[in-house]
Amino acid sequence: MHYPWWYVPHLTAPMLIAAISVLHVLISHYAVGGGLFLAVEVAHAYKTGNRAYLDYLQRHAKFFVLLTVVLGAVTGVGIWWTIGLSSPLATEVLIRTFVFGWATEYVFFVIELAAAFIFLYYWGRLTEKTHALIGWIYALAAWISLVLITGITAFMVNPGTWADGGSSQDFWTAFFNPQFLPQTIARTGGALLLSSLYVYLHASLTIRDAKLRDMIASRSARPACLGAVLITLGGIGWHFFLPPSAKDALAAAAPLNILVVLIFALTAVVFVLLYVGPYRNPGWLSPGFAASLCLFGIAAFSTGEFIREAVRKPFIIYNTVLSNQIYPEEVQKLRGIGYLEGGVWTKAFVKTHYPQAIVNDRIAGSELLKLPHQDRVALGEVLFQYHCNDCHAAQDGYSSLGRLLHGRSRELVRNSVDHLDSIYFMPPWAGTAEEAELITDYLMTINRPRPEGMRVGTETAEVK
Amino acid sequence: MQPNILVEQVAANLPAPIWFVQFFKALGFTLHAIPMNLWYAGLLIALWLHLRGNTHGQRFGARLLQQMPVIVAFGINLGIVPLLFLQLAYNRVFYPATILMAWFWLAIIALVTLAYYGVYAYAWGLRQQGNAMAAWRKAAGWCAAVFFLAVGFLFANGLSLTEHVDRWADLWKQHSVAGAATGTALNIGDPTLIPRWLLMFGLALGTTAVWLLVDATWFARNTVDEDYRRWAWSLAKKLYTVSAIWFAAAGSWYVYGTWHSAIRQTMFDWPWLPLTVATAVAPALPWALLMTAGFCNEKRLTLAAIALCQFGVLGLNATSRQVVQNLNLNPHLQLYTQPTAVQWSPLVMFLVVFVLGLGVVGWMVWQVAKSLPSPTR
Ligand code: HEC
Repeated sequence: MHYPWWYVPHLTAPMLIAAISVLHVLISHYAVGGGLFLAVEVAHAYKTGNRAYLDYLQRHAKFFVLLTVVLGAVTGVGIWWTIGLSSPLATEVLIRTFVFGWATEYVFFVIELAAAFIFLYYWGRLTEKTHALIGWIYALAAWISLVLITGITAFMVNPGTWADGGSSQDFWTAFFNPQFLPQTIARTGGALLLSSLYVYLHASLTIRDAKLRDMIASRSARPACLGAVLITLGGIGWHFFLPPSAKDALAAAAPLNILVVLIFALTAVVFVLLYVGPYRNPGWLSPGFAASLCLFGIAAFSTGEFIREAVRKPFIIYNTVLSNQIYPEEVQKLRGIGYLEGGVWTKAFVKTHYPQAIVNDRIAGSELLKLPHQDRVALGEVLFQYHCNDCHAAQDGYSSLGRLLHGRSRELVRNSVDHLDSIYFMPPWAGTAEEAELITDYLMTINRPRPEGMRVGTETAEVK
Repeated sequence: MQPNILVEQVAANLPAPIWFVQFFKALGFTLHAIPMNLWYAGLLIALWLHLRGNTHGQRFGARLLQQMPVIVAFGINLGIVPLLFLQLAYNRVFYPATILMAWFWLAIIALVTLAYYGVYAYAWGLRQQGNAMAAWRKAAGWCAAVFFLAVGFLFANGLSLTEHVDRWADLWKQHSVAGAATGTALNIGDPTLIPRWLLMFGLALGTTAVWLLVDATWFARNTVDEDYRRWAWSLAKKLYTVSAIWFAAAGSWYVYGTWHSAIRQTMFDWPWLPLTVATAVAPALPWALLMTAGFCNEKRLTLAAIALCQFGVLGLNATSRQVVQNLNLNPHLQLYTQPTAVQWSPLVMFLVVFVLGLGVVGWMVWQVAKSLPSPTR
């Protein structure tokens, strides 16, 4: 806990990452797949001399640039912004490990930008060959930037031998982690599939000429189906190379169960719709059909992204950074000296507000317990903020403790704190016994009573 | 509270030598400053000229507005480099500062997105309908200009707070719940904030003046006549004069009115004195070149010199900023004694890709240049 914690009421700060990254993923995959679509199709249209198709592609390119160059780029920077704000320690580790990966990716961004603008603004002014070539330069650069960022996001799920420390902590070990290949395959598939769905939606809304629309429907069905296959293959590889805790989490947590079933169901629906729709019956491509296809695809994608985030718990970077912004190596030390003492900002907080708890420039556990109840609660809340708020809202909101405590007795609540990692999605309790008392005091103030009126057979005393 | 206790040193290794980090940070910021200046002050000027200018003014306004989407795209992109290197080596001060103002820091993303689309709305309106474009498009352009000014203000907040660790404790006390930052602080009470913000606007006026000439002499060379160029030179002279005066005023306020005396002493003493002086007087050089150039249709060499000088002005500014930032942070951050383990092979990969990337972009630009109409058309 070297950094201050950012308190976002109800939502929790990390959920902002989820919100922005889902939006970004929905656009950035299109930035890759759509680029490939434009490169392939423009070349095809030139070869077949299909003017009507070229006109459509130009309109599509405009839409493409407006969405990807602006919103894709800004939301990408936005993710970087939010991870720095809500997971600063993990961001620090990622940047110190991968700075040259990002710097290299950045070069590809510049190539993408230049290519995208030239491709669009000089449409019809370059020779056909050069124009198509620039489309391909864009597509290739975009795909390479996908590969580069995937190395980094895959690292967070399973850094492989890098996390063992020592000489294995080099860039290449980190980059070519066990999750790298499966995720690259899945994301490439995602790019192909998602962009086909956007193409369908755009084409069905803007093209009147049925023949042209049918041609687009059937031509884009192939990359879409290929994409679905790659997603499946990559998904299997992803699951195979998950660390055991993540595999277990997928099987154990009820919400994740539902999401996994949902993602399979949604993917299956998309696949079937693609087959019976655009592939076999291109004429079906009405705006309504395209929109539902697109919606199912977006739902599947968002679910996938959410699961990818969720299974990492209690880590931000597996075996490297815990979600409460400490290294696993610090846990034993913090159990000895105290969580408040070990955190830069928590220590400063105690020093300013409760100087009476400081003995020899250290926070003394025994002094903490002597504080009046309301101060114990106040310090318990500090512990909650710095130890729990990355996953739990307080009284109400996302996974709120007020509700998860189920009106349990003080003794049981204290017991949950002591054995926090008995649920292994949670980091171990990293404070002293005295601090466990303080946070329990606080938790009891937000603990909602059991709902009234339940009759479960144990309340015989009251029932006549 | 001692501010020192809010910053702790990092355990992880720095993957590049600190001089490398600082060099790319300052170079990246200089490169970012060119397009950033153009949307910072240039956008306002272009909108004004397009609304109220004479025919030449309207023409330049329309040109710059149509170039703006591309300028913004590259400018944002170029901003990634200095931010990456800032986070790399200054993380222990950058993250706390931005967390204290988290909502405002995040608002930058929203404002940039809106401003960016505003710029597109105006530019594409111009392209399709010319001056007859819809009123909402015009309004969007003006909103974009205001949003960019706000973004500059927020950046000045974040970076001045990064540099002034002694301001954290108070802001934290006022903007926190149980020791956790609510992210609602702004560094308003910092006396350096406003002059910093204004300083950049002054520089931006100068960069816009130079761009006006570059555009008239190179990009628009086949479409504008001598009369337009004469107008451009005379406006550029006025604009640059305002820029230089503005820079001098805001700079003096910044240096004499807000710097800690210790910083001032160091910056006005060996070895930094030459840098301080050079930064202060730098705008005089492009200004003098501009004023003495007179007018001539084909002043390419002089103009190249002026543009280079303006690049130097921005570069010196970035360098001085870097030095002052380090001086302010010295008591808190052990910049030079961080554990370092250089990642050589990734570093080489980056440099190689960088050179190849420049080649590819150069090739594409050359293809475009070949396709442009020749002067005889
Ligand atoms: C890495 C994220 C994470 C952190 C940090 C975390 N938890 Fe949890 N916690 C979870 C998850 C996930 C669950 C399961 C939620 C569910 O089933 O809806 C959970 C469940 C709980 C429950 C209900 C358990 C039960 O027995 O029913 C309690 C109580 C709880 N957490 C307390 C805490 C406290 C106190 C802290 C801080 C000291 C904390 N948690 C920190 C992720 C976390």
